[in-house]
Amino acid sequence: MSSLYSRDFIVTLIIILIPLCLALNTDSYGQRIMTLSGIYAIAAMGYHLIFGRLGALSLAQGCFFGLGAYSAGLIGVHFGLSFLTCLLFAVIFTALVSLIIALPVLRLESHYFALATLGIAQVALLIAINWTEVTGGANGTYGIPQLDLFGVELSSSNDVLILVWVILIIIVSLTFWIMRAPFNYQVTLLKDTPEVAASSGIDIGRWRLTFFIMSAIFGATAGALQAYTIGVVSPATLEFQVMVSILAMTVIGGKNHPAGAVIGAILLTHLPEWFRFLETHYLIAYGAALLCTIIVAPSGIFGLFEKFIIRNPGYDVKSLPSKENKAVSDANSTSLEIQGLSKTYGGIKALKNLNMTLTSYQIVGLVGPNGSGKSTLINIISGLQRQDEGTIELDGSFIENTASYKRSNRGIARTYQTSLRSSDLNVYQAILACSSNQHNLKHRHNQTHAILRNSRLISKTEIMVGDLSTADARELDLCMALATEPKILLLDEPAAGLSSSEQRFLSTKIRHLAQSGISILIVDHSMDFLLPVVDRLICLDQGSVVAEGVPAKVLADPKALKLYFGNARS
Amino acid sequence: MIKLPKFLTIFAMIVLFPISAETKETYIPILVPITGFLSLEGTAQRNGAIQALDEASSSLKIKYEVSDTSTSPEIAVTALQRALSRGKPVAIAAPIFGTQMLAMLPIAKRAGVPLITVSGTAKLTELDNPFIFRFFPGDAVVKVAHARYVTEVLRAKRPALLYQTTAYGQSGYSHLSKALRKAGVPLVFEEALAPSVKDMLPALTKLRASKPDVILLHLHSTPTALAIRQARNSGIELPIVAGSAMHQPSTAKLLKDHQLRGVCAETAASPISETHPKLIQFTTEYKKRFQTLPDAFALAQYDGMNMVITALRSGAKTAMDIRNWLATNTFNGLAMKYKSDGKGNMGHDATIVCYDGTTKTPKITKKYLNVDGTFN
Repeated sequence: MSSLYSRDFIVTLIIILIPLCLALNTDSYGQRIMTLSGIYAIAAMGYHLIFGRLGALSLAQGCFFGLGAYSAGLIGVHFGLSFLTCLLFAVIFTALVSLIIALPVLRLESHYFALATLGIAQVALLIAINWTEVTGGANGTYGIPQLDLFGVELSSSNDVLILVWVILIIIVSLTFWIMRAPFNYQVTLLKDTPEVAASSGIDIGRWRLTFFIMSAIFGATAGALQAYTIGVVSPATLEFQVMVSILAMTVIGGKNHPAGAVIGAILLTHLPEWFRFLETHYLIAYGAALLCTIIVAPSGIFGLFEKFIIRNPGYDVKSLPSKENKAVSDANSTSLEIQGLSKTYGGIKALKNLNMTLTSYQIVGLVGPNGSGKSTLINIISGLQRQDEGTIELDGSFIENTASYKRSNRGIARTYQTSLRSSDLNVYQAILACSSNQHNLKHRHNQTHAILRNSRLISKTEIMVGDLSTADARELDLCMALATEPKILLLDEPAAGLSSSEQRFLSTKIRHLAQSGISILIVDHSMDFLLPVVDRLICLDQGSVVAEGVPAKVLADPKALKLYFGNARS
Repeated sequence: MIKLPKFLTIFAMIVLFPISAETKETYIPILVPITGFLSLEGTAQRNGAIQALDEASSSLKIKYEVSDTSTSPEIAVTALQRALSRGKPVAIAAPIFGTQMLAMLPIAKRAGVPLITVSGTAKLTELDNPFIFRFFPGDAVVKVAHARYVTEVLRAKRPALLYQTTAYGQSGYSHLSKALRKAGVPLVFEEALAPSVKDMLPALTKLRASKPDVILLHLHSTPTALAIRQARNSGIELPIVAGSAMHQPSTAKLLKDHQLRGVCAETAASPISETHPKLIQFTTEYKKRFQTLPDAFALAQYDGMNMVITALRSGAKTAMDIRNWLATNTFNGLAMKYKSDGKGNMGHDATIVCYDGTTKTPKITKKYLNVDGTFN
C-alpha cells in the first residue's frame, strides 16, 4: 500500500474534512475565515516541504505567495481571463522565477540560504511598490474579478470555501505522493545528515530543487486564491509578515507532517478572530497563545497529537516481506585506482602524491597517526571533498570530478566515524532510504529485508535510530552502506566503541562481504581488530605512504613502527 | 487510534464558533487600524467615532464595536465581512489606510453600506463607487493647499520632498508634485522612504546636496518626527512644511519644542489650535475621555459620524437611506462644512498650521477654503 492511502493520509484528510464540513454550516464570515485558513494551509504545505521536511530555512515562501497573487491578479484584471487560466499562469510564472532563483541560491547553506531568500523577497517587495505602472504601486491593483470555475462565477462564500479546500486536498494528495516511500526516508536522511545521504546515492541538489520549486508552486497557488478572494493585490502580500505567518503556521501546526500545516493554518487564522473582543490587546493574547502552544507542543500540535493519540507514530512502517532475496551484491571484479592524489588545507598538506589500488575480494587496512590523511582520503574517494591534484579511476572511468551521490550510484559506499543519529527514522526506514534508486520499490523492500536478515538488527527494525546502542548504530551504518549495493566499501573506524565480541562479529561480516566480491578499505586505530581481518595494510604519515604490504611486512617496517606504534614496540 | 474521533471532535468544536444574531439597534461598526504603523491615526479615528456615537446614544439606540484592520487589506476585508455578518450596519467607520479601502469598496458596494472614512488616497473617490464618503479633504485639496502655501506664502523656488512608499505617500507625492509643477516650482529632490526606515540621514544628506530652500514631507507620523529630528540635529535649519501627520499632537510629542521651530503642516483642521467654543468643548471632552489630545483625523471622523447621526435623526433608516442623505445634503461640522462633490469627497477646506518653537501647540497660519470649488 502506498503512502497516499496510508494511515497518515487518511488522518490528514479527516483533519481537513471535519472543519470543512463544520464551516459549511456557518455564516459567510465563518466561511471566509475557513477560506483564508485553506489558502494559508496551501502556502504552509509548500513550506512544510522546504522547511519541515528538507530543513532548509527558506524565507522566500511569502515572496512566492505574493508573486502568485500579483501574477494571477494582474492577468485577471488586464486580460479578463478565467480564474483557472490565471492560476495556471501564476503557478508557471512563479515556478520559473523560483527556478531562476534556485540556481544561485540553492548552492548556499544554512543562514546564507535564509539571508539570500530574504533578500529576494525584499527585492520583490520593492519592485511591487515602485513599478507603479504595472503593479499599481503601494495602492496595489484592485478590481480583480470574482472567482469563477468553467465560466460560472462563484458568488457565494460557500462555493469559494469548497473550491479552496478542494484545491487544498489536491495539494495535500500531491504532497503525500511526493513524499511516498522510500523518498520520504531519503529526504529525512538528507535533512538530518546530508553527507550520509550524499554518500548513499541521494541527489541532494535534485531534492532541494524539487522542493524549492514545489514550495513556490504551492505558495503561488495560495497567493492567487488570496488575490481572488480579496479582490485586491497589494504589497502587503509580499511583506515579511506573510512569511512569518506561514512559518508560524508550519511550526505551530507541526512542521514534520502535512497535517501540521493544515492545523497551523486553521489555528493561526482563527486565533486573532477569537481575541477580537480584546480590541488593542488582542495581539498580546494572540502572542501569548502562540507562546503557550510552543511550550506545550514543541514539535507542533500534530506532534502532540501523534504522541498521545496515534500510538505507533512513524510513516509507513512496512511489514517485512518474507520472500527470499538475491545476494547483497553481484559485484564482478572491480578496481579503484588512485594516482598522484594531493590535498592541502591552507599550509598543511593532508595528502601528498598518494597512489593506491583497491581490488575486488580484497580488504585493505589504512593506518597512521592522527592527521596523517586517512579520513581525508576516504572523504575524497567518496566525493565529499575534492582533491587538489590527482585522479581516481573506477573500473576504467575517471570519477575524481563526479558528485558524491553519483559515485555512490557507481558503487562506492562508506560509513562515518560518527554514526547516524537521526531521530525521525527507524532502522528499517534508514536502510530503505539508502537502497539503490535503480530498482523499484518492491525490490528495494526485498533488498532491505535481505540486508537485515544478515544483520543483528533483524529484531530491531522499528527502533528509532537515535535509540540504538553504539554497536547497533555501527551495524546500521554498515547496513545503510550495503543498501547502496557497493563495489567499493570504505569503513571509517567501524570498530570504534565496540566490545571484543562485537568486533569479532564485525570482522566475520566484513570477511563475508569481501568474499562476495566487494573491495573494502578500513580505517581503524584498533590493531587487534584490524590486523586479523585485512589482506593488505597501508601506513600513512603526513599524507604519504610510508609502508605498504601484508600486515606482517608493514609491522616489520621500522618507519611504520616508529610512526604509528611508537618506539616502545620496536 | 481509539482516541482519534474524540480528539477530532474536540478540535472541530474549537474551530466552530457561533456568530451572534443581528440586533434591533442601529448598528455602526468601527473598522480602523489600531495596531501597526497607522495605529496613531486609526486610534484617533476610533476615538472620534466613539465620541460621536456615544454622544448620540442619549437619543438614538446605536450599537457599535471596534475591529482592528491592522495594515493589510486581507484583515480589513475580514473585519468588514465580520461586521456584515453580525447585523445590518447602516454605515461603517472605515480605515484611513487607502489600500484597505480599495479592497473594502467592492464589498461595501455589494452590501449597499456606506463607508465613512478619513483616508486621503485620491483613487478611492475616482472609482465611481457610490458608497464611499471621505470626510478628510483628499489630496486634491490638501496637497494643492500645501503647494500653494510653499509657493505663495514662503515663496520657495527649490522645494525638496521626502515621501512614504505607501499608498498614502504615493498619492500625496503625485498631487503635490503636480501642483508644484503647475505653479512653476518643480521639485529639486524627491525620495520615497519605507515606513520602516529609521535612519533618514542618508536621504537628508542627498536632500541637502540638492540645495533646496524648503523641505516638504509627506510621511506618516513617526517617520515625520524622525525626519524633522534628524534634520535639525544634523544642522538643517530650512523651513519644513510637512503633511497632515505633523499636525497631530502625538507627532509633536516626539519632538522637542526647539526642533519644531520653522515647521508647518497641512491639515484639514487642528482642534487643539482652534478657539471656537464648540471645538474647545470637543477637545475637552475628548481629552477627558481618551487621555490624549484630538487631531484632525479624530475630528473628521467625529464629523463624519455626526453627519450619519443627523441622517438618522432626519428619518433615514436603512444603509441606502443614509447613503442617499450623505450624497445630497450639506452638513456643518466642527472642522468645516461638508458636502459631497458627487464622488464622495466631503471636505473641501485645508488649513496650514505652524509651530513657533516654544510650544507643541501649533498656530493656524492659513486657511484655504473650498479649494476644489465644490461650493461654487
